[in-house]
Amino acid sequence: MSINLKKLIPLIFAVSFMSTPTFAGDKMNDLEIAHSAYTAGTIDIRYAHLALGISENKNVRDFAQTMIRDHGAVNDQAVALITKLKVTPQDNDLSKALVKGAAQKRAQFIKLNGKAFDCAYATNELGYHKVVNKTVEGNFIPNVTVAPLKSLLQDALATFKAHEGHAERMVTALKCSN
Amino acid sequence: MIGSALLGAAMITALFTLGASANEPNVSHQVVIEKFKFIPATLTVKAGDTVEWINRDIVPHTATEDKRAWDTKNLNKGQAGVITFSSPGEQSYICRFHPNMKGIITVTE
Repeated sequence: MSINLKKLIPLIFAVSFMSTPTFAGDKMNDLEIAHSAYTAGTIDIRYAHLALGISENKNVRDFAQTMIRDHGAVNDQAVALITKLKVTPQDNDLSKALVKGAAQKRAQFIKLNGKAFDCAYATNELGYHKVVNKTVEGNFIPNVTVAPLKSLLQDALATFKAHEGHAERMVTALKCSN
Repeated sequence: MIGSALLGAAMITALFTLGASANEPNVSHQVVIEKFKFIPATLTVKAGDTVEWINRDIVPHTATEDKRAWDTKNLNKGQAGVITFSSPGEQSYICRFHPNMKGIITVTE
């Protein structure tokens, strides 16, 4: 089930419509995994704040509020854990790729409004959660060695899978293909 | 005279005893919120009973009647909310934050 990160980063960039970066190693350590998981949550919170600033659609706004609330709660748990373990997460190529891709996405989003924005945001949320879930389930959880971090990632995955389903229903309700 | 008084007292005691058994004490029920599900998702209670929802997920949830007739408000991880049910009938509820989470409380007489 483990995913080769050399294959994973292009997948993330396919969602972000960016070129493929170079990536030095395949296997991430616990501190890198913690950093990337936290970064992924922070990115989705930033997308959500953007959505609240632009969208007037109640479903989209409710979803964005939920992303802020849920990813904030997960990241709070992550901070509590790293504080308890007295460790510092390590920046890495995957985190850098996530940040770079998200910056490009936000630059596209701020040019949109109305249904065009709602559909772009909703579609991105669906794609983003799919990629993140695949990464957490196929790479992070199998590779992480510290038991409390593995447990937190498992709880986070249950949350993110619920988000993926929620995003899918939001995309359907928006009728973006019409 | 004393005998009839004792008989009367015994009858009154019996009536109270019968009354107590006819009016069963209210029961406290529990629904666990875990992995984005209400467990159990359907629950039957008697009028006057209470239901406690306890959140074991890492993100906040609510238990909220579909038309907002009752609401536990935000339940963070480890927190619980209690609702007392007085009116018989079937009451559907959701989590306001994750509306795909659904449950039903059936209140009987």
